[in-house]
Amino acid sequence: MEQQDVIIELREMSKSFKVKNGVVNALDKIDLKINRGEIFGIIGMSGAGKSTLVRCINLLERPTEGQVLFDGQDLTVLKPAELRQARRSMGMIFQQFNLLMQRTALENVCFPLEISGVKKEEAHKRAEELLEIVGLEERKNSYPSQLSGGQKQRVAIARALTTNPKVLLCDEATSALDPNTTRSILKLLKDINKRLGITVVIITHEMSVIEEVCQRVAIIDNSKIAEIGTVEKIFTAPKSSIGKQLVYSESKPRTQFDDTNRKYCRIVFEGETSFKPVLANMILECNDVVNIMYANTRNIDGQAYGQLIVQLPPDDKTAKKMIAYLETQDVKFEQLSELI
Amino acid sequence: MFKEGMLQVLGVGIYETLYMTLISTLMSYVIGLPIGLALVSTDKEGYFIIPFLGIKIPIVWLNKLLGFVVNVLRSVPFLILLIAVMPITRAIVGTTIGSKATIVPLVIAAAPFIARMVESSLKEVDRGVIEAAESMGASPFQIMFKVLLPEAKPSLLVGAAISITTILGYSAMAGIVGGGGLGAIAMNYGYYRYQQDIMFITVILLVVIVQIMQEVGMKIATMSDKRL
Repeated sequence: MEQQDVIIELREMSKSFKVKNGVVNALDKIDLKINRGEIFGIIGMSGAGKSTLVRCINLLERPTEGQVLFDGQDLTVLKPAELRQARRSMGMIFQQFNLLMQRTALENVCFPLEISGVKKEEAHKRAEELLEIVGLEERKNSYPSQLSGGQKQRVAIARALTTNPKVLLCDEATSALDPNTTRSILKLLKDINKRLGITVVIITHEMSVIEEVCQRVAIIDNSKIAEIGTVEKIFTAPKSSIGKQLVYSESKPRTQFDDTNRKYCRIVFEGETSFKPVLANMILECNDVVNIMYANTRNIDGQAYGQLIVQLPPDDKTAKKMIAYLETQDVKFEQLSELI
Repeated sequence: MFKEGMLQVLGVGIYETLYMTLISTLMSYVIGLPIGLALVSTDKEGYFIIPFLGIKIPIVWLNKLLGFVVNVLRSVPFLILLIAVMPITRAIVGTTIGSKATIVPLVIAAAPFIARMVESSLKEVDRGVIEAAESMGASPFQIMFKVLLPEAKPSLLVGAAISITTILGYSAMAGIVGGGGLGAIAMNYGYYRYQQDIMFITVILLVVIVQIMQEVGMKIATMSDKRL
């Protein structure tokens, strides 16, 4: 593999919490590399440890073991003042926005500059620039309580960007927003990534968020990384069971496989193959019909990906013929024995 | 219905009451506010850090000690405290009677109360906001003065309105042991000389003052809150 420019690296990082009756391992020996300039997604069910993971990146949570390397520097050994300095290179946004409620949008955006000792006029100028980037320059004198969820998150994004960070950490940043607002915020994040070259790390439990903006994704399950790879790979061929659950469960097949005597088959499309009428050809070739149980295609980075679950004809001979036909075609498929 | 000069006596009483209340409140805040901050900062979830020691060190023992002292002072009935601290009062003011002397026990009684009020106001500040400030590289002191206190301002003002009226009530009690103000007038004229009309008037005056202070305080608090 080619040498990548790594900006965040976690080495054997573990985090455990002491609770009433014992110790809970929230993260268990996590190894992770995030490249400079990419949009990296971290997905998992709630309680999988993804929020803890992102908090460990800027040491809001101190890992119990292991190292956190940011731009080649081990954050876990820094003195408090040095750590605060390092944190100024990492912006963070949150699910609940966490704006200062007694400050206007502009004053909120000024806050990080204020605490790093930038002069007031200069801070104001910079804050106004940033509010323009996020499209809120008209609401600069509004208080957070006067803004909608999406607007609040935009203020939070502007605030996180004031110190020119290298990385933007997003902890469930769209989870409290409606689908339309989510899309616009994701678009903004993508835009920021492109225009300013800031590495974006997105924590979410929604596959659609990953699909919309991320280039690579790590799936967290049971305190460990279950799977990591490009979004295309994981969407088309998830290997781990949690990966399959996340990719396929977003919209479960409508009907259950009640007739277990019959054969079911999942056909996976990758990029250009989805433009080939595989299924129609198979039906013509084998002279029998199939029942489409479920179909779903997505557009990822301009290419179509998808899957199709079909119920093969009851006649075993025809079913076998169909499988044989599929084998001659350039598509991925698998026979299903259980429903995931 | 008044003997000559009674109006003047009442006027002086109002002045003394206001003087005692305001000075005591101010001094109680000078002591109570830092204690309240310390109580929050040394709490388990607190962020106060002794410089050079590192981030988020819970200084539990300090919290326990402070909490204990505050509780002890708060559990002593004010009337007993008034008498018990007389030596201290004499040492500081030189006398134990009059409104100036009343300020000492008032501050001793009110500061722990205010510390608790401040503590509860500061604890209302959303943890997430503090976390956000931390993520931006704010130091513990910056979190205290730029996040905790400003964000808790409306709640602190409500607390101040409650505190000032409570202190006013306490100041009237000091009349029994020779304090000044309306409380002393009520005792001396109303109780010892059976002038019930005077007693009645002082009570009315106290009620009116409390009402005004409470209303004005709440109004300021509401106006300052940007969440509304």
